[in-house]
Amino acid sequence: MSSTSTAPAPDVPLAALAATSLSPKRPGGFFSKPSGWLSVAVLVVFVLTGVFGPMLMERPGGLGTDILQAPSGAHWFGTDDLGQDVFTQVVWGTRISLTVGVVASLIAIVIGTALGLGAAYLKWLDPFVTTITDVMLSLPLLPLMILVTALAGPSVTTLVVVIGVLSWPEVTRLIRSNGMVVAAMPYIDGARVLGAGAVRIITREILPAVMPLIVVSVLLTAARSVISEAGLSFLGMGDPSSWSWGRILLNAQRSGTIATAWWQTLFPSLAILLLVLASTIAGVRYNDSRDPRTKGM
Amino acid sequence: MNNGTRRLRALTAVVTAGVLALTGCGLNEGNGSTESEGGSTASSAQATLRIGTTTDVENFNPLQSLSKTDSWILNAMYPHLLRIDENAEKVPEAATGYSYEEDGKAVVFALDERFQWTDGTPLTAEDVKFSAEAIMQYKLGNVAAKLTWVESVEVRDENTVVFHLSQPYAPFAEGVGFWMPIVPAHVFSEAGDLSTFANDADWVGAGAYVLDSMTRGQRYTLKANPNYPHAPEGGAAVGTVEYVVYPDVNTMILALRNGDIDLMGTPVPASAAASLEGADGISLETVGSLGFAHLTYNVTKGALADQAVRQALSMVVDTKSIIATILQGEGQPMVGPISPIFAQFDNTDLDAYPFDPEGARELLEKAGYSDGDGDGVLDGLSFEMVCDQSNANLTRVAEVVREDAAEAGIQINLACVERNTFLARTRGGEYEIDLSQWGVFDNPMDQLRSTYLSSNPGGINYNLVQDAELDALVNDAALTVDEKEFVGKIQAIDAYVHDQALLTPLYVENFRFAYRSDRFEGFAPSPSDLLGMVTGYSLAQVTPVD
Repeated sequence: MSSTSTAPAPDVPLAALAATSLSPKRPGGFFSKPSGWLSVAVLVVFVLTGVFGPMLMERPGGLGTDILQAPSGAHWFGTDDLGQDVFTQVVWGTRISLTVGVVASLIAIVIGTALGLGAAYLKWLDPFVTTITDVMLSLPLLPLMILVTALAGPSVTTLVVVIGVLSWPEVTRLIRSNGMVVAAMPYIDGARVLGAGAVRIITREILPAVMPLIVVSVLLTAARSVISEAGLSFLGMGDPSSWSWGRILLNAQRSGTIATAWWQTLFPSLAILLLVLASTIAGVRYNDSRDPRTKGM
Repeated sequence: MNNGTRRLRALTAVVTAGVLALTGCGLNEGNGSTESEGGSTASSAQATLRIGTTTDVENFNPLQSLSKTDSWILNAMYPHLLRIDENAEKVPEAATGYSYEEDGKAVVFALDERFQWTDGTPLTAEDVKFSAEAIMQYKLGNVAAKLTWVESVEVRDENTVVFHLSQPYAPFAEGVGFWMPIVPAHVFSEAGDLSTFANDADWVGAGAYVLDSMTRGQRYTLKANPNYPHAPEGGAAVGTVEYVVYPDVNTMILALRNGDIDLMGTPVPASAAASLEGADGISLETVGSLGFAHLTYNVTKGALADQAVRQALSMVVDTKSIIATILQGEGQPMVGPISPIFAQFDNTDLDAYPFDPEGARELLEKAGYSDGDGDGVLDGLSFEMVCDQSNANLTRVAEVVREDAAEAGIQINLACVERNTFLARTRGGEYEIDLSQWGVFDNPMDQLRSTYLSSNPGGINYNLVQDAELDALVNDAALTVDEKEFVGKIQAIDAYVHDQALLTPLYVENFRFAYRSDRFEGFAPSPSDLLGMVTGYSLAQVTPVD
């Protein structure tokens, strides 16, 4: 509890941090509430769909004869204007959307954590990192992503890199403010007195302390990356050769049937909603389950 | 004192704010009511017809215009000697007729003396002479190609203009008559360099409707020209035509359903047509095509110079399924560059390239292409295909072709971009494959000259092909007077281009235009999406439904 009282930014979820210094096994764990196991169940379903779905279903393509059919037994999510099955497209889209979400989020986490911890411990680095983070946060991200993707040429790699490289500032800010709390703790001074260098202190002492926060960040950043990917693909900046949920939306828009063929937009949108909601709730639940305040301690 | 001043200031501020608010409201209400009056009092000559379009006007100078929205608006403003009617026939507009003299070396147009510019000046032979000479001097647009053999333009009298040609050229009168806009000499001669003249304000026209005001990105308002002689007696019933810009076709369809617009200038995508067919108060009008959709290969780019590669590309385009699915059957296939609408000239002996991606791969491997780096793509066979994203059908075609090409080991990268970017890229030759749709070819000879001559007289040789043999064939045909021999030569060029696979023709589309039939009726549509429902003549015939 003492750590929360000295927190420089009280709005930052410090709970996860506090929890590490306490015993991890306690009532009120992650799965003690439905929001915990439900969100994880949804995420697991999505991962399984993304990994195994495309193995079981043929890649959507070509020109079919059943054009713009409403959802039915034969086509669960209906068909698009080329006669392709929307369900198959959504299943195939899961893989790319998840991949982009996860990889972009990892890129953002690696950059964000490195800069955040560096700034937290190394006083001379702090002003630079803070300034760059503030500048990045003030940039209009979507137009910037559109610009960079348009210049680099649309592909999954471009999407991953662009989204990842532009999403780290939030992570940096979060990690930095929490890292600073840890850096001010007596045991860090102890480590320094014992002769530990900056790299060792950052990687061995501070990093484990903020690890739970990183887990939360991964989930939240992944959720945002999925949305960014869908947005960019919808704007025609996605990889035209691989299926993603944004591309299904783009196709619906291009075919001029958004107003009538609701199933073309509804199901990919639902998938995006579900995935983002599930990972956000999982992140929040993870944080809550480690927060002594919300556990009534 | 101090307090008093402060109070006074506060009071002034409140009053000012109040006045501003009132004026603001007043202006808004004024605008609103003008518009709604225009829309609702459909029975008077004040009726306003609102037309949806996907793109802005890029260029207001009719002498160089190429884009679709530009053409719609400018063709209504600047009359042509001839127009194309409902049956694809050329009929008089600003001319009352034409005749050939001196064995076809002089073409005489008699002008309709009723035409007048909106500033009161009569339209005369001088205007025609000025327009033609300006186009020749600055080599403007595709009309320049049609004027190649003009030696001089003679004003015989106020209403008679004579084109003297260096050699007889049968399609001359129809080609120039239909394509060449007539601009007011007394306005354009003051404008300086006509290749850069913007003409974006104070418009003077003689067509059915003339631009009155515009807000870029939003709307273009045209007013009826009371002097337009081809309007029904008593003048056009539609006094104002307003083009409203909807970059997204879905939004435009919704706007039509909601009654925010009365006509979609853009054809309805085949996939959306079915849903509009049964809609209340909306009717669909089908018109034929005078052009065709195609993939055109830029032969100056890498492996596209290789005939085998172009043939292989032609083999990965499944035109039959494309017509059946993407066009929902509303189109017909074609082989070679000559459209079946020119039935007489179409070489029916040609066999279309079969849809056979595996065969295409074999053809390429035989020609020496191989996949050295093992990425599934034959080395050197990765091309960028540009297309106009406002054409819903073609963006879908692009995806299908890309997938089928991948099977043959050809990688196609799609760049379906915003229309004006697309046009800029095609004009600048910045593409490898051009997926687009020709609007209007009014005769095959002009088409072949414009699209295949090395000298690129019309600026639309999108193959950028420089083929001496093809040049010789085209020039030889153009000089041929004998009808039967002429047809034979056109068919020979058709076969040559088909064998070279300079293009892969996709389809000749039937266009469907949707309009509010509960509000307006009596359109006189012409074939093609370039003309369609929105020619000045057609709009002038429209009457509001009571």
